[in-house]
Amino acid sequence: MKIKTLQEILKYKSLKKEFAILTDLKNGDSEIFIPNQIIKGEFSKYLDEIEIIFKSNKNGILKNEEIFVQTCKNPIKVIIVGAVHIAEYLINYAKSLNFEITIIDPRGFFASREKFPDTKIINKWPTEAFKEIETNSKTALIALTHDPKIDDPALQYALKNKFFYIGALGSKKTHEKRCLRLIESGFKNEEIKLINGPIGIKLGGKSPSEIALSIVAQLVSEKYKN
Amino acid sequence: MKDFSEKIIFEKASDWIENNQKVALATVIQTWGSSPLEVGSRMVINENGNFLGSVSGGCVESKVIEECISLMKNNKISTVIDFKVSNESAWEVGLACGGDISIYIEQITQ
Repeated sequence: MKIKTLQEILKYKSLKKEFAILTDLKNGDSEIFIPNQIIKGEFSKYLDEIEIIFKSNKNGILKNEEIFVQTCKNPIKVIIVGAVHIAEYLINYAKSLNFEITIIDPRGFFASREKFPDTKIINKWPTEAFKEIETNSKTALIALTHDPKIDDPALQYALKNKFFYIGALGSKKTHEKRCLRLIESGFKNEEIKLINGPIGIKLGGKSPSEIALSIVAQLVSEKYKN
Repeated sequence: MKDFSEKIIFEKASDWIENNQKVALATVIQTWGSSPLEVGSRMVINENGNFLGSVSGGCVESKVIEECISLMKNNKISTVIDFKVSNESAWEVGLACGGDISIYIEQITQ
């Protein structure tokens, strides 16, 4: 690999651009593939196969060729509503799991910079905050305030935009009430069932760090379901 | 998709290069059977043998580092190393997981 290619990789990573690194295993040449752009030189012959690997989010050697394709996609976006104690632990776990976290909390005193260094915090109500975040079906929502005023609008947004993971903190009773409110707001039962509530897999733990672990474990398992 | 800590690997490569060190990358390009890390896993190695990342569960890293250092010493561009259970060198470094892996090593050049 040339230094120039390494610099391109770092540039695209910081710009959050999705790309693939192409390597010719025979002679060591490498090039960056960007969707819908022309590839230079030898690699252009393999454009169709490269695109298939890229679209399927895979890495691998092209069939009957000595070209290696490494797909570099952006990390999964995880939106946490509620800058509570559990969120602090979630951020720690997420660092090593390649999730990109954004915290929404209109209560300014909760979401302080000291508690959440290097994390994007939006001190607004969810409906306003979502205007600032690009979301898609690869986005996850973790609602932690168990305050309907804050959690519900975020949950509604996540359901409407078909997030791949939606979880809400709260006991079975709290969740039942939440489901009733969502039905009143016009959501169907099969949609509401997509919310993981009570959130997390059963580990038995009760401390904030243990709850965070059970949430993050559920998130990882959902990531591999699709 | 293998993106786990990948950015850190490339940043480290860039740091070492800025400090005038020779740097090599090792990448898992193919696996068979129960190898521990998926295709695309990367490791960065400098001429002093310092490294970051991994290409197996610790089974073949020492051999990979050795090969990368010799690649940089001989100023070669790249090569592929295969670790197979039936392969004697794999026994030496102990691919205990029972899988086979191919690792591409390359020097970062001007």
